[in-house]
Amino acid sequence: MVLDEGREFCWREGMTVADLLKELDDPYPYAVVRVNDAVISGPDFEKAAVPRGSEVHLIPLIAGG
Amino acid sequence: MTDLKVREIKRLAYERPPIRRGYANQTLYVNISDSTISCKPVSEKMKETFVGGKGFDLWLLWNAVNSRTRWDSPENALCIACGPLGGTPIYPGSGKSIVTAISPTTGSVMDSNVGGFFGPYLKFSGFDALEIQGKTDVPTVIFIDGINKQVQVLEVTGLPEGAHEISEVLTNHFGQGKPRNISVVSSGPGAKHTLIGLLNFSWYDPKRSRARLKQAGRGGLGTVFADKGLKAIVARWDTVTLAMNDPADEAALKEVARLHSREIMEQDPKQNQMSMVGTAHLVPIMNDYDLLPTHNFRYGRHPDASKVGMDVYRPLFDKGYDGCWMGCSLACSHGVKDFVPTTGPHAGQKVYVDGPEYETIAGCGSNHGIFDPLHIIEMNFYCDNYGLDSISVGTSIAFAMECFETGLINKTHTGMDLSFGNKASALEIVHQMARGEGFGKMVGQGVRRMKQIFSREYGADRAFMEDIGMEAKGLEFSEYMPKESLAQQGGYGLALKGPQHDEAWLIFLDMVHNFMPTFEQKAEALHWFPLWRTWFGLCGLCKLPWNDVVPADNKQTKEPAKVIQHVEWYTQYFNAVTGKSLVPADLITMSEKVYNFQRILCLKMGYGRREHDAIPYRSMGPVTVDEYESRAERYDKQLKEIYAVDTDGKDTAEKVKTLRKFREERYEQLKDAVYERRGWTHDGIPTLDTVRRLGIDFPEVLDVLQAHGVA
Repeated sequence: MVLDEGREFCWREGMTVADLLKELDDPYPYAVVRVNDAVISGPDFEKAAVPRGSEVHLIPLIAGG
Repeated sequence: MTDLKVREIKRLAYERPPIRRGYANQTLYVNISDSTISCKPVSEKMKETFVGGKGFDLWLLWNAVNSRTRWDSPENALCIACGPLGGTPIYPGSGKSIVTAISPTTGSVMDSNVGGFFGPYLKFSGFDALEIQGKTDVPTVIFIDGINKQVQVLEVTGLPEGAHEISEVLTNHFGQGKPRNISVVSSGPGAKHTLIGLLNFSWYDPKRSRARLKQAGRGGLGTVFADKGLKAIVARWDTVTLAMNDPADEAALKEVARLHSREIMEQDPKQNQMSMVGTAHLVPIMNDYDLLPTHNFRYGRHPDASKVGMDVYRPLFDKGYDGCWMGCSLACSHGVKDFVPTTGPHAGQKVYVDGPEYETIAGCGSNHGIFDPLHIIEMNFYCDNYGLDSISVGTSIAFAMECFETGLINKTHTGMDLSFGNKASALEIVHQMARGEGFGKMVGQGVRRMKQIFSREYGADRAFMEDIGMEAKGLEFSEYMPKESLAQQGGYGLALKGPQHDEAWLIFLDMVHNFMPTFEQKAEALHWFPLWRTWFGLCGLCKLPWNDVVPADNKQTKEPAKVIQHVEWYTQYFNAVTGKSLVPADLITMSEKVYNFQRILCLKMGYGRREHDAIPYRSMGPVTVDEYESRAERYDKQLKEIYAVDTDGKDTAEKVKTLRKFREERYEQLKDAVYERRGWTHDGIPTLDTVRRLGIDFPEVLDVLQAHGVA
């Protein structure tokens, strides 16, 4: 599994985006995470699954128009 | 083939000055009443004070109008400018034009920025800005030919009506086999019959062999253009090179441009994918956070939003490079090829549609309760073709739909079922705007005037319409739901021209991340961000490369929202072109001069005070019981935890009233804090100390301040 900027992380069955962020121990308040081609917003972090082998990008900022 | 008849009314042959450090050092003046054409010098003082772009526009406008000038007065000046960095072909987002005039919807100063080739071509032809006064009855085209060093005022008959066709015909006519040398500014038939007309700026796309369009949308600038009798303004220029702006340090310019471009190429695919889907990427995110306006801003989320999300538009967008200026690596101007409208004069024909972008998807889709991607594309096409602002069209129709559904107006008035979700009626309204007939003509007056008309003619409840009509200063809100972000309410309400998000977009920082819990922190944000964003408009730049893609390590910086690495790069960029030695804080001061000057120009026109910064309650909180109950848990919690209100035993109507009292008070407190931070009086007017500190204490400025009690 690949994280952005080449960081790898361990995957486990049933892992959600919220689980992933906890595991990373990254205090930045991400609002959006891209899992492969799917854009996952904060309100869905707890329920959005991270499939095995996913490419994940943490989107640092949503800037608006 | 269109049979054009062209008659020269007036010609000025001129000496084209060499560009020096980003400036042509003169502006072009055209009065179409008497066909005066002249060049005006740009002084060092003018550059020092107003920088360029919007700053130059505002100075020209200040000198052109008086306090009695209305939008349709001959002296109202339509000004278009580039900026000292505009036209640089390798730095992302360096092709913007800024347009200003007195607006038909607000009666005050309007500014709107737009991509396309016109601004740079105007400057390379020898003019930092173009100022047009006067009015005419003959169909007029102004042709600025930088290659042959002449400006012509032409009577042109036989032109088609639609913006796409006008742009194509004039590109071919004046291009002389080199269509990329041409940029056309035009409007469309809707601009003539409404107050919400826009300007289309063309850029020639060699891959698709067509003139494509970007829009200066807000505040009815296209209506001013059409009212003057203008059909088009055409600029002609030749090959563009880096050296053309005469940068003081070409090597430094190349290096900083390379850094920013490389970062975009590396990071955009991982972040917002602007180069693939443009601003459409925002649709699902806004919906997830309850920020996507639906049903006239009643709600911020809808279960069908995914039907108009970026995953739907991604495959519809025509593949290929979509930069609206040469060399832009963000290249977010996507379009739909071979689209076939189902209605109107182009029904059944294949057309190319530039867009849709987020604002049009939300404005002409979700805000109407419509979640059909093809309908939105058709609305987008006709808004552009007719010269109509899709944001004002969207918000105005949404308001009319709510008035219809709540029984304030009915079919007798509209001539059609205008319920939310009615696609055929939404399109028919737009066609009526173009024809200047029916209920669409009334909708085309904008929300503020509809409130007056519905109240006066149909006896509709004025107070309720004031609450739900999403306009401020006379301008319709752009398409973000600000109810749960006090800072964004300020971002809209305290914006100089009206509720457009280009001054401040603080929803995520405020509502989602809670980065600015105090009034002072919100006020600081409403000081810094509008000034920083203003800077782009002074220089001829697009704001998107600043923060729609950010450095990989941006989150580790002290204030990630400011994207300080980019602020430093922009400072280097400005220094490399102009030869100055500025630091980032100097850029903010540059903007502060122009920003305060614009506020005082609003004052000169009879606006620009505290009372004009009012916003409708729909933008602050739930107007109706239904709205409250749809998010009852949120609002009940706020009443209890923030305002210490015991909600037990209170019915919803009572809770709506109580919450409203608190939220309106907070907005007034925010105004106080922001005015103080900006160096303004309690009434929202820049103080004498402020204008002296900024060096904009000209006698005429002091006269305006004195007339409003600031002395």
